Amino acid sequence: MDGGSILETIGTEIIGVMSPVSICMFLVVLIVYSLSSTSSSDQQVLRTAANLVYLESPTDTTSTKLEGALLNALVFVLLITLVTFLLVILYYYRFTNFLKYYIRFSAFFVLGSMGGSICLSLIQHFNIPIDSFTFVLLLFNFTIVGVISVFSQGVPILLNQMYMVALGIIVAAWFTKLPEWTTWVVLVALALYDLAAVLAPGGPLKILVELASSRDEELPALVYEARPNVSSRSGNRGPNLGLLLAGFSDGDSIELGVMSSGENVVRNGRENEEIGGVRGGEFEGETSPLISDGHVVNQEIRESSNESNGSRVMERERELEEEEERGRGIKLGLGDFVFYSVLVGRAAMYDLMTVYACYLAIISGLGCTLILLAVCRHALPALPISIALGVIFYFLTRLLMEPFVVGTATNLLMF
Amino acid sequence: MIVAAGIGYALLALGPSLSLFIAVISKKPFLILTVLSSTLVWLMSLIVLSALWRAFLPLKTAAWWPYTILILTSVCFQEGLRILFWKVYKKLEDILDAFADRVSKPRLFITDKMQIALAGGLGHGVAHAVFFCLGLLTPSFGPATYYVEKCSKIPFFLVSATIALAFATIHTFSMVIAFSGYEEGNKVDQCFAPVVHLIAGMLTLTNLAFGGCMIGIPLLHCVAIVTLVHCGRMAWRKLIESRSRQ
Repeated sequence: MDGGSILETIGTEIIGVMSPVSICMFLVVLIVYSLSSTSSSDQQVLRTAANLVYLESPTDTTSTKLEGALLNALVFVLLITLVTFLLVILYYYRFTNFLKYYIRFSAFFVLGSMGGSICLSLIQHFNIPIDSFTFVLLLFNFTIVGVISVFSQGVPILLNQMYMVALGIIVAAWFTKLPEWTTWVVLVALALYDLAAVLAPGGPLKILVELASSRDEELPALVYEARPNVSSRSGNRGPNLGLLLAGFSDGDSIELGVMSSGENVVRNGRENEEIGGVRGGEFEGETSPLISDGHVVNQEIRESSNESNGSRVMERERELEEEEERGRGIKLGLGDFVFYSVLVGRAAMYDLMTVYACYLAIISGLGCTLILLAVCRHALPALPISIALGVIFYFLTRLLMEPFVVGTATNLLMF
Repeated sequence: MIVAAGIGYALLALGPSLSLFIAVISKKPFLILTVLSSTLVWLMSLIVLSALWRAFLPLKTAAWWPYTILILTSVCFQEGLRILFWKVYKKLEDILDAFADRVSKPRLFITDKMQIALAGGLGHGVAHAVFFCLGLLTPSFGPATYYVEKCSKIPFFLVSATIALAFATIHTFSMVIAFSGYEEGNKVDQCFAPVVHLIAGMLTLTNLAFGGCMIGIPLLHCVAIVTLVHCGRMAWRKLIESRSRQ
């Protein structure tokens, strides 16, 4: 009965980005939950790029921990900045194939060794009866298909998306092994870095995104692409979108940028190649009605009527169709997946309540970023808003809400 | 068996909401966004409330009046928030209608409006169940269970799951009732949601007495059923009216 209802079309793109992020976070929380109970006793501290300077031990004083964590975060962000600039330089001089092969290699490494070790610990934990030959064979096949799917055109988009989420899960599950203070400080530092790298003039990600869009190429990084699948956009959606799109489809690419980097860092068990972006304006049309004050919608209508005459609209519709063929969607860097999930995974080590609060905060931050994207129309960092909200909600929940809720609920009082 | 128990409690509290989500909400992206935002609103209200009450907690006294005040303030605050939520929704509805005109699609149907209200209510209900029940379920995945002194016949997790079920139902459907009340200017429906919420909150006060949960929980579920029936009749009436108008 609601066949023609607009409720079904609005927000499709947002959900297209949010659902993989949610899946990623959910699986990371499950992994952290099932593994943390066993490994808490014999947890070996890893020395990785994120805690090069200082290893946290529970006996240290708060100030030592804070100082060490700050140093760790500084070193980590510096490393990432260096690597990102290296990436930009390589891309600038058109070492594109080198970058692609390098990223394929990193994907192979991450899926094979890190994913394999996570699989092993899961197998140990659940006592799954499997012999080593089968396991190696399965892992090898899984890895190879993943490597193939990273940059190829012929692979179904769903497979590509699944592998992106898998990569995010694996890296995030590794990151959750960092000590607590370092995790929080690194997350905040990364959010700040992201802000600078994408928005500041001369920021490495800004350069990278602009370069890629001026060359009209794919970004040489691991990016999740929420490309709407063809079946759902067949039928009557095209013309409607064409109207929505008026004013935006002159091909300027809108990137939701995030941090990118992480070449040699991958070896240390982290990998941060990520750039997100949105191309094509269809997203804007879809989001704009979500903006509650209604200004933007009207503004858009006005804008479109200003700069367009009748023929232009037709032209745009054609452009739109081309765009659909190219199939551009919202792009979200893999690093966003990773660090969102790290935050949630870290929250999972405390309690389920904090997990849920952080999840909501991150998702709403992502929603805010997407709405901002519709307004600003250029690459935006996806980490800052979400991470800020996530951290704030984590501590609010932990310090304020938990005693309140536990106090009332254990008295069986609810409202 | 242990994991099964935990999942069972979770499903007891959230099962109906889950099936509602899958059947109605999940097909429409906009409704999912509504659920998420209303959950966030509820979470923020809970955080504000806990910030207000943080100084007085934990209550050491066995007296019931501080708890009464606590529930009273919480319900009042959340009902105020419901009115705010309605105002925001009203603006959103105008934007959606304008948007629908632009893309030459039909404006929001009456079922769409009710579904948005349902999604908003579901967000509140799910948030309630998650924070008051699921958040405390973690120990139930371990090997033991927990009994509260005042309600020593039933495990604590089971009690909180049943209470959460009742509250999830009340929150979900009272939102639909309240929204239609605001829209039609129907005073009875407008007052229905706060009154039901308050009654339900006050009924949990019986759990403070020894063995009180044996009386309180069935009464709570009666309130939930009353809400459900009222909402069902109202929705039926509106559907019939809109059909006869066409």
